[in-house]
Amino acid sequence: MKLKDWILERFPINYERFVEINEKVFIKEPIPLHYKKWFFATGAAPLILIALQIVTGILLMFYYIASPEAAYESVRYISQEVRFGFWIRGIHRWGSNLLVIALLLHMTRVFFTRAYRRPRELNWIIGVILLGLSFGLSLTGYSLIQNQVSYWATTVGTNSVNAIPLIGKPLLQFLRGGEEVTANTLTRFFTFHVTLLPPLLLLFMFVHIFILRLHGMAELEGKEGEGSYAFYPEHFFKVIILTLFFVATLSTLAVILPPGLGEPADPSTTPAVIKPEWYFYPVYIALKLMPMHIGMSVLMILGVILVFWPFIDEFVKRRAPKLRLNYIVGTIAILTFLTVTIWEIIV
Amino acid sequence: MDTVTGQKWLIGIFSVLLIVVLIIVAGVEMRKTRLERPEIEISGTTEECIGCHVKKGVAVKLIDEWKWSEHAEKGIGCYECHEAEEGEFDAMKCPESNILIAKHPTPGDCRECHERQVKEFANSKHVLSQAFMALKGSDRNVFEPPVTTKHGCEQCHHIGNYWPDKSIGECDACHSKHRFDIAQARHSETCGECHIGPDHPHIEIFLESKHGNFYSTFADEYDWDYKPGEPVPFGAPTCATCHMSATGTYKQFTHNVSDRLTWESQAPFSVRTQEYWGGISWQEKRERMEGVCYQCHSQSFVDRYLLTADLANLQYNEIWETTIDWMKKLREHKVFKTDVFEFGGKAITSWPMVGYDEELEHIAYRNWHHEGRRFRHGAEMMGADYTQWHGIWELQENLTKIIQVGAEHGVPEAKRWLVAKDPDKFMKLYPLYDIPGGSWGPSAMAMRGNMVLDRIPNYWETVRSNVKTAYDNGLLTEKQWELYSDLYENREIETGRQYELPELHDELMENLTIDLKQLYEQQKVDLILMK
Repeated sequence: MKLKDWILERFPINYERFVEINEKVFIKEPIPLHYKKWFFATGAAPLILIALQIVTGILLMFYYIASPEAAYESVRYISQEVRFGFWIRGIHRWGSNLLVIALLLHMTRVFFTRAYRRPRELNWIIGVILLGLSFGLSLTGYSLIQNQVSYWATTVGTNSVNAIPLIGKPLLQFLRGGEEVTANTLTRFFTFHVTLLPPLLLLFMFVHIFILRLHGMAELEGKEGEGSYAFYPEHFFKVIILTLFFVATLSTLAVILPPGLGEPADPSTTPAVIKPEWYFYPVYIALKLMPMHIGMSVLMILGVILVFWPFIDEFVKRRAPKLRLNYIVGTIAILTFLTVTIWEIIV
Repeated sequence: MDTVTGQKWLIGIFSVLLIVVLIIVAGVEMRKTRLERPEIEISGTTEECIGCHVKKGVAVKLIDEWKWSEHAEKGIGCYECHEAEEGEFDAMKCPESNILIAKHPTPGDCRECHERQVKEFANSKHVLSQAFMALKGSDRNVFEPPVTTKHGCEQCHHIGNYWPDKSIGECDACHSKHRFDIAQARHSETCGECHIGPDHPHIEIFLESKHGNFYSTFADEYDWDYKPGEPVPFGAPTCATCHMSATGTYKQFTHNVSDRLTWESQAPFSVRTQEYWGGISWQEKRERMEGVCYQCHSQSFVDRYLLTADLANLQYNEIWETTIDWMKKLREHKVFKTDVFEFGGKAITSWPMVGYDEELEHIAYRNWHHEGRRFRHGAEMMGADYTQWHGIWELQENLTKIIQVGAEHGVPEAKRWLVAKDPDKFMKLYPLYDIPGGSWGPSAMAMRGNMVLDRIPNYWETVRSNVKTAYDNGLLTEKQWELYSDLYENREIETGRQYELPELHDELMENLTIDLKQLYEQQKVDLILMK
C-alpha cells in the first residue's frame, strides 16, 4: 500500500469518505431489475462512442487541413497513404452513424418506458439538446471532406436554415461566413466541429449523467419496487458487452465498408442529386415535399414538441389516463423514420 | 401479457429493428460514398433503350462509354439526344419499339444545350474543312479514285460536315461519342488523329517541341477535367490549351480554333487572317495568343519568337512566289506536256496551277501543301526538325530540282543559275528576311563564320528594308516593328559578334583537328574538303 500512501500524502483527501461516495454513487448504485435486458441498457453506448469519436477525431486532425484547396486532398491522404488512416477515418465516420443509432435506441427505451416522467423532465430536455448537438457534429463533420456530395449537402443544408422564421437570414450568414459557401464556411464548420460542439456535448453529457445519478435509474411505471441489483459488476459488464458489440461492429464496418472519397467539390457544377446523410432523410423529404418555409415551420413545431414532450405527455395523461400516447407516437415515429429512410434509399 | 412485459417486447423489437435496419441503411449509404461516379438517373425512354440494347447485345460498349459521361451524370440519356420528329432527315423507327429516333445527332441537336460552343465552332476554320475538300481542282477530284478518299481525306474533313438539317460540323470528332469527354478533347492525340502526316504534321511538331516533351513526361500528373474558363492547371500546353482554353489575360475559352491564328498558313501563300472569322482582326488574335504564351514565357522571348515565326512565313511566301515564277518560266519553254485540265470545254484549275500528271507538278504541289506547311507550322510551334529538315531543306531541294529540270530543258536562266559558282545563289533567288539575334539568348558563336550576312553587301540594310515593306503592307504590328528596329539598332550585340569566344573553344578546336587528321589518315578523306 506504499503507493496509495504516497498518493494520499500528496492529495490529502478523506479516503474513507471517498470510498463511501464511490460505492454509493457508482459501485452499489441500485439498478432496477428490468435493466438486465440489454435493450434497457443502451444509455452508455453513446458515451463510449463519443469517447471513440474524440480519440479518432484527434488522430484525424493530425493530417486534416481545413482549406477548400487542401481538404479533399488531405482526406485522400489520410484514407490512402497514412498508415491505418482509412481505419481511423472509417471508425470516425461509422462512429457518427452508430452514435445516431445508439441515441435512437436510448431514446426509444426512455420514450416507451416514460422514463422522462416527473421528476426527470429536464433530463429529457438535456437529452434532446445532446441529440441536437450530435446532429450538429454530424452535419459539420460531413462537410469537412469537401467532396461534391458533402459540399452540396452543406450548401443545401445551410440554405434551408434561411427558411427559419425571423433568425433564418442572419443565422445563414453566420453559419456560412457570408452569403455563399466559401472558405469561410469550411473554417467555421471545422471550428464548430472541433472546438465548439464537442465541449458543449461533454458539458451537457456531464449534466445529463449528473442528474441521472441524483435521481437514480428510473423504475418501470407500474412496477415500482421490482427490486434492484448493484451497478458493479453485473450492470457494468452488461453495459460493457453492449459497448463491445458497438465497438466490434464499428471496427468491422470500418474495414469491410470503409467510407469513400467521392469526387472533389466543384462549386460550379451542381450534381443531379444532392442528399444529406441518411439520418437527415426524414427532414430532407419533409423539406422536399413541402414549400421551404412551411416545411421548416413544421419541423420547428415538431422540434418544440420533442423538447417539451414530457410535459405534453403528462398533460394528456391527466385527461386520458388509459391512453398510451407514448406508445402511439413512438411507434408512428419509429415506423415513419424507418419507412421514409428506406424509401429514400430505394427510390 | 401484462403491460410491463408488453412494453419490454415493444422496446426489444424496435431496438432490434433499429439496429438491423439502420446498420444496413448506413452500410448501403457508405457503399455509395465509394462509388467513383454518382448513380445515374435517366428518363423512362432511355431506360427502355438501354434495357433492350443490353439484352440484345447491340452497341453495349457505347452505353458503357455513355455511363462515364457527364451526360449520364446529368440525366441526359439516349433519347435526349436521339429524339426525332417525323420528317426529319435521319428519323427512323426503332425496329424493336415504336420509338422514333434520330440516327445522326448533329450540331443542330447539340446546339439545344451547347449553343455557345456550336456558334463558336461555326466561326472556326474547322467548319470549312468539307468545303475545301470539294474544290474543283483538289487532288481528291482529279488525282485519286473516289472510293480511296472515303476513308482518307473524307474521314478527317467530316469535322465540317454539311448536314441535311443545315447545321455544319461534327462535335464528336473531338468529344468522341458516347462519352463526350472534355479530357479527351484536351489531349493532343485527339487533334493528332487528323493533324498528322506529311501535309500538316501538327502532332509530330508538338511532340518534338518542348511543349510536347512536357506533355510526354508529365501528362499523367495533369488534371484533365478542369472547368472550362479556369486557368489551365498544366505546366505545359497541349493543342487545346493554346488554341482554345482561357488564358491569364483573355479569360474566354472558345470552340473557335481559329480564334488566335494570325496567319492562314495552310494556303499556298501565308496570308493574315480575316476579320470575318469571329469578327476580330488578326492583331487582336495575336494579342490573344500572346496572352497564352505570357502565362509561361517572358514577354521578350514571346515577342522575338513570334516575330521570327512571322518572318519565316514572309520568307516562305517569297520562296513560294519564286517556285511559281520558275514553274511559269518552264511552262513558257514548254517543259510541261499538259497545261490545264479541261472538262466540257472549261479549264479545271488545279493546285498549284497545272496538274498532277508530271513530276515537277507534284514537286511544286508539295512545296506548299507539304513542305511549305511543315516549314511554316514548324517555325510557329517550336518544331525545329520540321522547320529545318522536313521544312526549309526540302523546300530548297524542290526549288533546285525545278530549276535543274528547267536547265536540262534548255531554259537559259536556269542553265546560268545552275553553273554559277556563287555560294549565295540560293539567297539571290528571292528577297530575304532576317532578324538580328534570336529567341534563345545571345551566342558568341551562332552568327560567326563566313555566313550569308558577311558575304552579301549591306545584308542587314537589305533585310530591314524587306521587313519594313512587310510592316508597311500591314503584315506586322507596330509593336513588332518597334522591336525589330531596336534589334536592328543593336544588331552587333544581338548577333553576339562583339563577345569573345571562350578559352575552351581553342581546346575544342585542337581536339577536333586531331579527330579530322585521324579521319583523313584512316578514311583517306581529302582534308581540303573538311576545312
